[in-house]
Amino acid sequence: MTMLIVLDLALLSISLLNTGIMVVGLQGILLGLFVISSHASALSLRLVIIASVGIAIKGFVFPLLLRRAVKEAGIQREIRPFVGASLSLLIGVAMLLAALWIGSKISINGIIDVPLAVPASFMTMFTGLFLVIARKTALTQCIGYIVFENGIYAFGVAAVGQTPLLVELGLLLDAFVGVFVMGIAIYHINHEFDSMDATKLSSLKG
Amino acid sequence: MIVFPALMGCAALLMRSAKAALTSMAIGVAGAIMLGTFAIVQTARHGTISALSTWLYLDALSAFNMAVMMAVFFLSTVFALVYFKDEIRNNAFTIKQARQFSALWCASYASMTLVLCSNNLGIMWVGIEATTLLTAFLICIHENRSSLEAMWKYLIICSVGVAFAFMGTLLAAASTQHVAGLSGHQALLWTRLRDHAALLDPVLMKAAFIFLLVGYGTKAGIAPMHNWLPDAHSQAPAPVSAMFSGFMLNASLYCVMRYVPIVEAATGNKGWGLTLLTALGIFSIIVAAAFIVFQHDLKRLLAYHSVEHLGIIALGIGLGGIGTFAALFHTLNHSLCKTLSFCAAGRLGQIYGTHDMRKMNGAFKISGVWGTGIFGSLLALLGVAPFALFMSEFQVCKAAIDARAYVALGLFLGGAAVVFVGALSHAIPLMWGENENKTIKPVKGTIIEMGLVAMPLGALLLLGVWMPGFLGGALTKAAAIIRMAQLK
Repeated sequence: MTMLIVLDLALLSISLLNTGIMVVGLQGILLGLFVISSHASALSLRLVIIASVGIAIKGFVFPLLLRRAVKEAGIQREIRPFVGASLSLLIGVAMLLAALWIGSKISINGIIDVPLAVPASFMTMFTGLFLVIARKTALTQCIGYIVFENGIYAFGVAAVGQTPLLVELGLLLDAFVGVFVMGIAIYHINHEFDSMDATKLSSLKG
Repeated sequence: MIVFPALMGCAALLMRSAKAALTSMAIGVAGAIMLGTFAIVQTARHGTISALSTWLYLDALSAFNMAVMMAVFFLSTVFALVYFKDEIRNNAFTIKQARQFSALWCASYASMTLVLCSNNLGIMWVGIEATTLLTAFLICIHENRSSLEAMWKYLIICSVGVAFAFMGTLLAAASTQHVAGLSGHQALLWTRLRDHAALLDPVLMKAAFIFLLVGYGTKAGIAPMHNWLPDAHSQAPAPVSAMFSGFMLNASLYCVMRYVPIVEAATGNKGWGLTLLTALGIFSIIVAAAFIVFQHDLKRLLAYHSVEHLGIIALGIGLGGIGTFAALFHTLNHSLCKTLSFCAAGRLGQIYGTHDMRKMNGAFKISGVWGTGIFGSLLALLGVAPFALFMSEFQVCKAAIDARAYVALGLFLGGAAVVFVGALSHAIPLMWGENENKTIKPVKGTIIEMGLVAMPLGALLLLGVWMPGFLGGALTKAAAIIRMAQLK
């Protein structure tokens, strides 16, 4: 769980797109392992399926898709973000404090016994939202969406042990299609605007 | 019902010509509507029906919403055929686009049906998220800079919003953890949750409802999460905007309606969740009123009307009492009216080549049919007397007086008055003004087009003066489901 938080902080300070993608992939693999380790005593077929599908999609398919988008777009790093790297880290620390506070407030019966599980998942959600809001490239916004989704996923595993398999798989599928659709959208935007700077998408107002 | 349109959508992908693809789409939708009607009749007869060990479940509320959905899809599908026929003639609509459009159209019909008839709140969420992703590319069927911009905003805002709703769903599931008999796969079945609602953890349920309201509210275009809506509605092709405004927003609000009785029962029937809904509803009405006054683009004007009317529906549910009934009635009226107005706006836009109302003067002379359509529906949207929307808005007012919510009533009437003056000042020159551009020739409407205008307008007029018994009964039943907590 501490690893999850460290990766969040890393995402906030990274400006190289490929490194960011790698970190997101790592986070996905970590989440899958978390599912298995947190239920190690009562491992069922359902959990193994969910964990392995999760690892495959979040750890390998997403990074692959995103890397292709980077290659198509031909840019390597985030363009002059609204909030610089060091300030982002400071905000990250503030978000971490907020997450710890929420973690101390929420008590759920039957929550699994992993230290920092709730704060880490909230921290991940905050990081995702921050990336969507404060970054300019469409691709980083997409990464932010994945991170946000990861956070919810972590919370789901920690707080609600027993959602049905069908729901979980539907969720993963949705996230997968979501990123896929975003990937295509980025391709089209890049094609039409010669860049994936989302601030150029600002002619529609009022 | 779900599988059939999806199959026809796939078939549309294989069609050789644009026309064939669209026809396949129409067959898919028509077939699904027939199956849906059968299901609704069954529901009306038996009260509720369920299948697949209660994973699929229909009651009066979902059946009513499904009827609205079928009406919207029927009108907008027929209109899509009319609308794109013109574009095919001008070679502005290629086979590839037709295939893409038909497939996505059928798929979104299927996913909305899934939302309505799933008993599992998790699957309901999956359906909503699926509509977001499927409809994203409907916005930019005609690929250009502004439609891509609208699509990206829609995709990012709604995806993140709907993710919030998922967080809410998880919290709702978490609140069941210490309730006996609600474990495993039953934790998210709506019927089970409803039966045990009073035992749920109130703090977690409150947190869940806030997340759900923000999440589904984003998709329903409730202010302040409405920013994507005017862009998406104005840039999408007209049939798509009609479907968006006519039903996609409602589908999302329907999810909120599902949670209302559970939250109310869990928090001890103090009206906590209803107050939140009321506040958001009023805020939407005011924000929409402010933007309507300064709007020049016809489709954006209609989009802000959607924000206003969804606000009215939320307000009605929030007020409770007769308000719930009125809100559901308003759902039907608004959907019919909005489908018509977007169709008319789209067709006029095709004729004029712009949606800027300052350049669209004299619509009556140019196209009698669609001019009547847009003016009639605008009047209805403003709540002018003989139309059904007036009746439902009037009932919302009455609910506000019953609930002694005079502040809410004042703000609602103030907002409606601003909208009335603002929109009418746009509508009158739009209808009777002289157009300086002499190159635009008057267009005659075909019989299908006349029917498309006459049907919803006639229905609205009829419902305004006379409510058929079966409809009233269905609405009362559906309202009772939302109000379950208050009746006990």
